[in-house]
Amino acid sequence: MSEKQTILIIEDDRAISNFISRALATNEYRTISAFTGKEGLSLFFSHGPDLVLLDLGLPDMDGLEILTQLRDLPREVPIIIISARDRESEKVRALDMGADDYVVKPFGVSELLARIRSALRRAERMKLSQGIQRDIYQIKDLTIDLAKHQILLDGEEIHFTQNEFKIIELLAIHAGKVLTYDFILEHIWGPYGGSGSNQILRVNMANIRRKLKENPSDPKYIHTELGIGYRMLDD
Amino acid sequence: MLQHLKDLYHWVDVQGHRIPAIPRNLGITALFLCAAYWASSILITHTGGENNSALVFVLAVSLISLLTSGYVYGIAASIIGALFINIYFMEPYDAFSLSRTGYPVAMLSMVAISCVICALTARVKKQATEAVRREKNARALYEQNEKLNAEKTAIQLQSDRVAIRENILRAVSHDLRTPLTSISGAVAVLLASPEVSPKNISMLNDIKQDADGLIVMVENLLSVTRVQDGTIPLKKREEMLEEVAGDALLTTRRRFPDFHVELDLSEDILYLPMDPLLIKQVIVNLLENAIRHSGDRDHITLRLYRQEDWAVVEVRDQGHGLSPEVLQAIQAGQAMPLSGDATRGMGIGLSVCQSIIQAHGGFFTAGNHPSGGAVFRFGLSAAGTA
Repeated sequence: MSEKQTILIIEDDRAISNFISRALATNEYRTISAFTGKEGLSLFFSHGPDLVLLDLGLPDMDGLEILTQLRDLPREVPIIIISARDRESEKVRALDMGADDYVVKPFGVSELLARIRSALRRAERMKLSQGIQRDIYQIKDLTIDLAKHQILLDGEEIHFTQNEFKIIELLAIHAGKVLTYDFILEHIWGPYGGSGSNQILRVNMANIRRKLKENPSDPKYIHTELGIGYRMLDD
Repeated sequence: MLQHLKDLYHWVDVQGHRIPAIPRNLGITALFLCAAYWASSILITHTGGENNSALVFVLAVSLISLLTSGYVYGIAASIIGALFINIYFMEPYDAFSLSRTGYPVAMLSMVAISCVICALTARVKKQATEAVRREKNARALYEQNEKLNAEKTAIQLQSDRVAIRENILRAVSHDLRTPLTSISGAVAVLLASPEVSPKNISMLNDIKQDADGLIVMVENLLSVTRVQDGTIPLKKREEMLEEVAGDALLTTRRRFPDFHVELDLSEDILYLPMDPLLIKQVIVNLLENAIRHSGDRDHITLRLYRQEDWAVVEVRDQGHGLSPEVLQAIQAGQAMPLSGDATRGMGIGLSVCQSIIQAHGGFFTAGNHPSGGAVFRFGLSAAGTA
């Protein structure tokens, strides 16, 4: 990419905003910093950034409120949430409202950069595909062929149950984005599928993991977001 | 005087009610009829008239119906009374006769009056018992209400206290984590920058390590405050143990990229209730403990398996094992002796583990493996899970 991509940082803590800004600058991103929600929104409209980093705990307005306003716009910009450790329900809501990903304080620079790269790649893909769905997804040595209803690991076919296949398919279509338990449950089992428990999904996931010989401490294909959901890796 | 009478009445009432209903009612009826007969006998020697005795008997009947339960005794008494008057207190004495003019009318009217009195007293009594019952109900309701109110206030107070503690913990955790995040993050940026001389890099590394260490310490202190006195309930939910362990391992690897930890999953799917953030922290602490204190760099294993009704997590290293003092302290559940750099931080980490597992109702053991190295194990109840 010849042109630098612009990232808007909406974060009220100046020290954190500073180091993120520096870290992004050294990685060839252009940054704009806003310290309040209102400032963030106005900078968003004047600069049209490629990605937004949004702290949910802002002094002047609720981070979720900003999220809703940004999501109501026709242009889809990836949003990564910065959130406190013990506010899981808040993260889940933000993700269900359309945020792409989240990082938890205290987070490391490399982790943040990885998530930004992944979100930008996804946005790029979406722009290129223009909403047309692909038939084949490739994640490292894993091939997911939706047309043939086939999953190959290193060229060898692995057999999955109907639901397991649907889960992998859903994750692949949204590769790079964190999908919450409720989102997956609703897509695979219908609006009342989970009936208040996500055990069925978690057990299916444990089986998928065993079939893919996936080690949860070193995931190659599917990353577990503890207590939140799953994300298919896209690199 | 009145008080004495009241007491007496009360006493009689209480004693009277100890006798079963039928004998008591019969006794009362007989007693008052005899009294009326006796009083009429005395009156008749003085006045010679027959009207008085009828009034005396009506009085007796009304008293009987007041003191007995139901209509039957009063009506029976009124009929018996009418017979008594006819036989003993009217001419011809000592014989039953309906020959005098107007006499049957007098007798019938006496029975009728007695019956009406019976009915009236019965109704009064019924109303009285109803009133007593209502009052009792009202009082019971009132007491119940008072009790409920007291309970509500207590619960309210308790939940207020919990909420205040939660808020303080959250605020403290935010205020500590935010600056630590920015210190650690800023150092990471500097470390990656080409403008820093190699001499300063080692210092920056120290800052980064200490900041990261402080972050862990803050997590530990906050968790231990959370579980220690049991006032704040655990945020338990069903969780896949292998995902918690995987997350713990990822966190550890981020801090210690040079160490290798093997994760060994059994085929068992361990899905059980826990506070996942706290359990993750226990695993992180055990791994960090093994990395920093065992002297083993490459053979640390994290194993998950089911043993009967327990989901067990085991952290094993092949280092130099635990010293007898440390072992003893763990078994006694004491805080570790904090002397010496080698064990710095070890005590807090392990006692946090113990507190968290204890709050979960699980077991925590530490020991040395026969073939060398330390083994830490903890188990969470997996009873009733598949």
